[in-house]
Amino acid sequence: MATKILSVDDSRTIRMIVGRTFKSYDCQVCEAGNGEEGLAAAAREKPDLIILDVTMPVMDGVTMLGKLKEDPELKTIPVIMLTAESGRDNVLQIAKLGVRDYLVKPFKEEQLIEKAGRIVPLVKRPAA
Amino acid sequence: MNDGASYQELSRRYGFAPKPESASRLTQLVSRQDADLDEITKVIDKDPTLRTRLLRVANPEAENEAEYAIETVEDALMRNGMGCVLVLAMSTPLAQALVKTFQTMLSLQLESIDPRTATPLAGEHLLGTIGFSGKVVGHVFLRMSIDTGRGIAAGILGLPPEELQDINEVRDVAGELLNIMTGNFKSNLCDAGLECKLSPPEVRSTSDFSMAASRGSSIEQMAFRSGGIQLFVDVTANPWSDD
Repeated sequence: MATKILSVDDSRTIRMIVGRTFKSYDCQVCEAGNGEEGLAAAAREKPDLIILDVTMPVMDGVTMLGKLKEDPELKTIPVIMLTAESGRDNVLQIAKLGVRDYLVKPFKEEQLIEKAGRIVPLVKRPAA
Repeated sequence: MNDGASYQELSRRYGFAPKPESASRLTQLVSRQDADLDEITKVIDKDPTLRTRLLRVANPEAENEAEYAIETVEDALMRNGMGCVLVLAMSTPLAQALVKTFQTMLSLQLESIDPRTATPLAGEHLLGTIGFSGKVVGHVFLRMSIDTGRGIAAGILGLPPEELQDINEVRDVAGELLNIMTGNFKSNLCDAGLECKLSPPEVRSTSDFSMAASRGSSIEQMAFRSGGIQLFVDVTANPWSDD
């Protein structure tokens, strides 16, 4: 069964890059544009991994992470933060809420693959 | 879950790149309202790039170095105050994030150039703006030609430029570039105790750009080039707001 990944970012650019990153793997990537949509998508899709931005309109990534961790059905879904912000207070707060990894933008697609591959199975699709 | 790890431990665990030393040091020094001018002078004097940029900020009307009325770091600080140092401290991580973004996402080496030697943008071009407020107030502007924006967007999205006809996609990429740049400098400011918030990026096409700096603001104009690509980044900052 394909690994299900949820990309939560207000930037369509980043969501497209995340989608492209996992294109050659047996993954199904779904998207949300803010934390509120991200929570709804997490509840609906039950992804194996969430890739989460911090600064977003409507609901930011830190709030979404907090709500995710309060939800008994969603709290075990591993999260990788993907953000340009790596300030001390932000990182400590996010680590306290519980994330599996943290990737600072700009990033190489291989870095995201490496971090995701440590958490969920990534199987290469056979060449077409 | 965090096991009580310190920021340094988490930085190692997550593989964060080290932050630029001189910018962090400078931000820490300037974040104190009783900042020590001698210490700041020493930090800037040790870094030829910072020194060049400070003198450029302190002599905004000069066409070249021969026209500088202010020639020393000490003189620049005495006459312009901390605002010009703050703008330098902010621009450094911002510029490094821009260069790193081009290296990692486009495999392009951006070179910082003297903005006075760059070819000015003519006609309609892309203008991206992010505002910040808090202990520091100001704006970051990113400007480029529409063709340059389309080329960058195509490269980042992995599409042929001719397939990228929707200007909104080009704007979204320019907005994300701004996000990456400003997210990096916000981290630097916050770590020095200068808490600030960023506004969402706004990108539009315009043929008319002018920076209206408020009283007491400092401005740094920067330009970058790689092959046929040319980008302009302008930062205005006013420190120690009570917002």
